[in-house]
Amino acid sequence: MSRRLLCLYFPDLPDSAQIKQRLIHWCNRYSPLVGDDGFGGIVLDITGCSHLFGGEEALLNDLQTRIRRAGHRVRGAIADGLGAAWALAHYSKQVIVTGSELPQALNPLPVEALRLPEEVTRALRRVGLSTIGAFQKVSRQAIVTRFSAATLLRLDQAFGQVEETITPYRQPAPYSARQSLPEPIATADAVEYVLRELLKDLCVRLEKEHMGARHLILDCYRVDGTVAACEIGTSKPVRSVKRLMRLFSERLDSIDAGFGIETLILSVFNLERFDPAQFMLPELDPNSKQNPEALDELVDRLGMRLGFQHVTRIQICESFLPEHAVAFQPVTTPQIQSATWPEYRLRPVHWIDPPTRIEVSTIHPGGAPVRFRLGQRLHRIVKSEGPERLAPEWWRAQQPLHWKARDYYRIEDESGCRFWIFKELQIIESSVSRWYLRGQLA
Amino acid sequence: MLIAPNAAVAQLRENISDLEGAPRRFARTVSVCNFVDDVLPCGGLPLGCIHELRGNPASVTAFAGLLSARIPGQGAIFYIEPSRTFYPLGLLPFGVDLQRWIHIRARRPKDLLWIVLEVLRCPQVNAVLAALPSADLTFSRRLQLAAESSGATGFLFGNLASAITRWQISPIRNFGWSLELLYCRGGRPGAWNVAGHNGQLELARPTQRELTGALSKTA
Repeated sequence: MSRRLLCLYFPDLPDSAQIKQRLIHWCNRYSPLVGDDGFGGIVLDITGCSHLFGGEEALLNDLQTRIRRAGHRVRGAIADGLGAAWALAHYSKQVIVTGSELPQALNPLPVEALRLPEEVTRALRRVGLSTIGAFQKVSRQAIVTRFSAATLLRLDQAFGQVEETITPYRQPAPYSARQSLPEPIATADAVEYVLRELLKDLCVRLEKEHMGARHLILDCYRVDGTVAACEIGTSKPVRSVKRLMRLFSERLDSIDAGFGIETLILSVFNLERFDPAQFMLPELDPNSKQNPEALDELVDRLGMRLGFQHVTRIQICESFLPEHAVAFQPVTTPQIQSATWPEYRLRPVHWIDPPTRIEVSTIHPGGAPVRFRLGQRLHRIVKSEGPERLAPEWWRAQQPLHWKARDYYRIEDESGCRFWIFKELQIIESSVSRWYLRGQLA
Repeated sequence: MLIAPNAAVAQLRENISDLEGAPRRFARTVSVCNFVDDVLPCGGLPLGCIHELRGNPASVTAFAGLLSARIPGQGAIFYIEPSRTFYPLGLLPFGVDLQRWIHIRARRPKDLLWIVLEVLRCPQVNAVLAALPSADLTFSRRLQLAAESSGATGFLFGNLASAITRWQISPIRNFGWSLELLYCRGGRPGAWNVAGHNGQLELARPTQRELTGALSKTA
């Protein structure tokens, strides 16, 4: 069975990407596969969707009425293939065509309906080929030699002989649940209730297929043809209604119901395998009163509030450069085994970034530091250990801003405060070396 | 009814400790080091409560890291701060397992307080290290209740009116710390010079001087 495509033509849509995007997003309520048709219109793949709206005609009527109510002029057509649907939407009175009727419907249409460049249609008209029917009678060989292979392709596309792909504006969600409401709702409680029902449906399915959700979007279709979306992410696959509900509840306030919401669609955009774990027998597990997922839930809630880039795990990396040796990885990324750190390389606990410029005196140029001034205070150095020379790693694609080797010293001043300071090595050894404070040791 | 003398004494001791306010509910403790434990009321630093740490930021973090690594159990350890000044590699000599640590950066003070409270409420958290702006009595009481309910221990760097203990840690010469217990509910304050060796604390010099109660800055 060929795919049924619905093409929408907007005769006077303002040339605004924002309006177009909003319309495309809204059309998602009819089909999971919606995209730009490349010629200023919108295309929907309604294969297997139309029965939900009472047939193709009812779907088309519903869609057109709603768009017109929102103040846009629109013409839509349904056919097997984008080329045919586009031609019908733009040039034909007949708007729904099935397979065998297609040649009959297309033949009387002007050649402009083939989506050809203007100079090609002008040339076709000059040789008297003004309709698709007339053009189709020309031999295929002649079309390629007189015009181009692209022209022939457009003709084949119109008749559904060559399949055309549409690029959906977002990947169709592998799992989704929808609820159309008889009466629009506007209160937060009502939205929450519907969402809970949708989550129940979804989680039952996830559980059956041993999957867990990582990224969910709730689309709320308002009566005025606009969409409000609300999005959550989790650090681990989840399929507990309670947990997902708690994550959503922090975002639901941001949904503006406007004049009322008539359809809600909940889609899962990122799934992961999540095998069911056997429940602990309460007698055997000493911590049975505790929620075993308390930490995951906490981390998810923190991530939602702050952004997951600020909720991080600590990973030691294979590098001696202090800037690269530690990576703060978002908890959403899988945990990688840390490298081992040689403990004789003592590092500060308190990190100063960017490093503070300090004035250091040495006994002789290139020697160990004896005094340094930080702000107003002069610190006399009692002990110093170093230098530990760390050169930049040339094999790294992304370099830190500095590209010079540094000599690091661990020092202790007369009050016992311990610092980690470094001297930047000059490429040409000049008389003045620059010293910086990098951190404080415990 | 006749009560065995030992039981009666134990009963009386319990009554007295209740009157003193010595927190019997802090039965779980972690050892700081033997000479400090002697001063602490439960024979160790109580868990499931709030400790206030002051002093040099590096020493304070290391001291809290060292203690949190000793807490039994595999719960998570959180480090929460407004801007990134924490460098985890510095804690490795103190026996810290960084795999269990979660670092959180919260720029806004309001977020920071909320997060510390939320994290302290989680039963799967061992310890929370956080640089807090000073919290008022009500809020620090809430932190204390959150810690008690979950069993998590808070090592908070800032002014907290309702902390169970208050420490001042500053570095001294020869890789040591001066450890000052400024206030301890149901215990005596004290001061020690300690040095760290392989995650253990030892007395650096026999200069332990115990402060009298009058010197303590009680809340």
